[in-house]
Amino acid sequence: MSRLSLDFQRHRLDNGLKVVLAPDRTVPVVATNLWYGVGSRNEPAGRTGFAHLFEHMMFQGSAHVPKNRHFELIERVGGTLNATTWFDRTNYFETVPSHELELTLWLESDRMGWMLPAMDQAKLDNQRDVVKNEKLQRYDNQPYGDWSERLQRLVYPEDHPYHHTVIGSMADIDAATLDDVASFFRTFYRPNNAVLTIAGDVDPVAALEQVKLYFGDIEPGAPIPPVPGNPELPPLIGETRRDHVVSDVPLPRVIMGFRTPSYASDEFAVAEVARSLLGMGRASRLYRRLVRERRVAKSVVTYVYPLLSGAGLFLVWGTGYPGSDPAVLEEAISEELAALGRAEQHEIDRAIALIETDLVRSLERVAERADLLSMFDLYFDDPGRLNHEVDRLRSVALDRVRSFATDRLGEDNRAVVIYQPEKDR
Amino acid sequence: MSGVDRGAVPSSGTLRSFDFPTVERRKLPSGLDLRVALMNRLPMVSLNLFMRGGEAALGEHRAGLAVLTADALEGGTGKRSGSELAEELERIGARVSADGGWEGTSVALSCLADRLPRAMELLSEMLLEPSFPEEEVTRAREQQLASIRQRAMDPASLASDVALASYYAEGVPYGRPVDGTVVSIGEMSRASMVGYVEANYRPGEGGLVVVGDVEPAEVEQLVTSHLGRWLGAPASRVDFDVKPATRERRVRIVHRPGAVQSEIRVGHVGTARSTPDYYPLSIANMVLGGMFTSRLNLNLREENGFTYGVRSRFTFRSRPGPFQVSTAAGNEVTAPAVREIMHELVRMADEGPTGEEVAAARDYAAGVFGLQLETAGQIAARVSQLVVFGLPDDHFDRYRDAVRSVTTAEAAAAAARHIRPEEVQIVVVGDADVIGDPIRKLEMGTVEILGV
Repeated sequence: MSRLSLDFQRHRLDNGLKVVLAPDRTVPVVATNLWYGVGSRNEPAGRTGFAHLFEHMMFQGSAHVPKNRHFELIERVGGTLNATTWFDRTNYFETVPSHELELTLWLESDRMGWMLPAMDQAKLDNQRDVVKNEKLQRYDNQPYGDWSERLQRLVYPEDHPYHHTVIGSMADIDAATLDDVASFFRTFYRPNNAVLTIAGDVDPVAALEQVKLYFGDIEPGAPIPPVPGNPELPPLIGETRRDHVVSDVPLPRVIMGFRTPSYASDEFAVAEVARSLLGMGRASRLYRRLVRERRVAKSVVTYVYPLLSGAGLFLVWGTGYPGSDPAVLEEAISEELAALGRAEQHEIDRAIALIETDLVRSLERVAERADLLSMFDLYFDDPGRLNHEVDRLRSVALDRVRSFATDRLGEDNRAVVIYQPEKDR
Repeated sequence: MSGVDRGAVPSSGTLRSFDFPTVERRKLPSGLDLRVALMNRLPMVSLNLFMRGGEAALGEHRAGLAVLTADALEGGTGKRSGSELAEELERIGARVSADGGWEGTSVALSCLADRLPRAMELLSEMLLEPSFPEEEVTRAREQQLASIRQRAMDPASLASDVALASYYAEGVPYGRPVDGTVVSIGEMSRASMVGYVEANYRPGEGGLVVVGDVEPAEVEQLVTSHLGRWLGAPASRVDFDVKPATRERRVRIVHRPGAVQSEIRVGHVGTARSTPDYYPLSIANMVLGGMFTSRLNLNLREENGFTYGVRSRFTFRSRPGPFQVSTAAGNEVTAPAVREIMHELVRMADEGPTGEEVAAARDYAAGVFGLQLETAGQIAARVSQLVVFGLPDDHFDRYRDAVRSVTTAEAAAAAARHIRPEEVQIVVVGDADVIGDPIRKLEMGTVEILGV
């Protein structure tokens, strides 16, 4: 039985904007959260990285809000704000003392409705430089910084929308124009392609009136065009693909990627449980065997990307010790993946217990509640899924986890990126 | 349909005041300082145990021992192996972590509230009967050595490490990396860890904070039954004077051939948590580089596009921690970024913040404080700060008023006292062949090029 029962209500404005209100009056804090159904998968050829660059432009002002004013106003009331871009979506969020809710609605509605009049070349050039520095800082000037680019190239075919990274290429970032900003805005940043969630100290009746006041007269757009390229792809990679990188990295690292069923599929829950069993916590299989007992890995990470277009991505990542042979580490990881076929029920129980603690702990923050409600509404038209997350995972049967090892984590569905330090060679 | 005036900033609604949760404080017969706060929004509990001592109390040859010992604490107990201990904790969904730091060792636990009794039993076992098996000692030591190697090749970590060593005089612990050196860690054994725990994992002078969906009386009973016989105070003493390496402005470039961006650190020795300037200095720093709309960020990012972000920070410790500006900038704008950082430091030290800037920073600080009282973990961490720095029990009750009462003149005076542009050490990790000459032309002081 789920311990979660978060109250929420749903509405839809005439222009198509979905609204989720999740009141909790215990703490005078409110989170405003907007998910737009656009991400790097929607980028046309030659414009990789544009969804993210566009996200930066959303902070450059709108018709009634001068540059920097958005930040100034939110910080002035003691609020926090940010935005992130991902493959399938872009989210924007503010957390403020609850008596400042209206401020966030004004700011978010102004840029949803009236962003373009405030755009100019100087702002685009400035944020292009900021984003290029972000790419340098987070990827290009980092040991292992190109791992995601290398792995995605192996897992997804060239015409697939996940073949390229969210940050994109420098050349494409350079090529972006003000016309691109305008057309991207008109195509994707429409109320009928967004979910607005307000969670925390909010009176739902009054809040809905304010939402209608601020967002109600924003014109809807045309239906969202299909994702470019070819999102359909075989469920398995079909072979083991490799990329062996000898570079200026401190330690050997083995990164494996596997296609999984998409986040929209029921089978995704199996991948989530399998990932937790393998790499979540110190009693997980990979930590116990590779880090603690055999000491062939300094650290291990597992993750599964919740992606919607065609296939998700299951990730296993092990870092070796100085001078160690990455081939030995890869072999050790492979053995543990195969051994998942002999998993026991108590391992699932352990993983679920950790997931439950982490989920409940994250829901202590209204910002996190709002983010999850927005996601579930945008992706599945079902924000109530939040209350059933743990049950959904708990219902995964042991035999499905066992067969996941052979069905999805075998050598016929594997991409391997190996980093080997130059000086170890 | 809309009658809303978009040209005007909406007016605020009615402020709902919110108090810091009531903390019940009890001194147990063993000497343990127990602080419990009820927060029953969700069925969670967070626990923080702070044991004084830590890296600041260790000599150079033992650098990293507090960190390493905390890492190896999960290695097992007299009753069970490390894997068995992890299994027991995780099957009830309990998250436990132990961290050695400058001031001492912190052990944190979070779990669903109804599982606290079992989690507390296991946590006590970890604390009172750690076994440190040889293979776990080896694992922790090898992991830490590998981490040191990773830091040396990560431009951001490397820049911070070189910068700290440039701020502090030889022998001051704060000038070295908190997790030790290859030499000091290489020599650590099971005996060092057992000795460290015996001497320093003690309840006296520390504190146990429990926040969540719990009754204080029940917590006291639980703690007494598991930790009632745990006695004594840590043996280690912090014993050093903080001295700067130099008062002369210097530039150090750590050469990374082929680097596509430079990591930049500009700073000097800052001040201690106990400074009477704590509030005005915090406000001045927010204006300088402590928020998105700070002078540094608006200049380097929003005006010039030199960087993805830049911040400045006073790290307040029991002795003077560092003051530092951190950023990363592309090769061709590295020197201009350093120039603009220096310009903002001089402007802040000489002129101080404006009244409008101080008002904005005060409002931000007071408001954000209220936003960070949502979770049991946030409250527990804050109450732990009272323990660590010996702050009064009503510190957080008075925090917002204290922030709001900072005047422009006080913030300016604090900035002038604690930000000294003529004494900063400028450390840049990047390609010296590309960035060296432009940086020399800034004439900020002697330029030294270090190999990697």
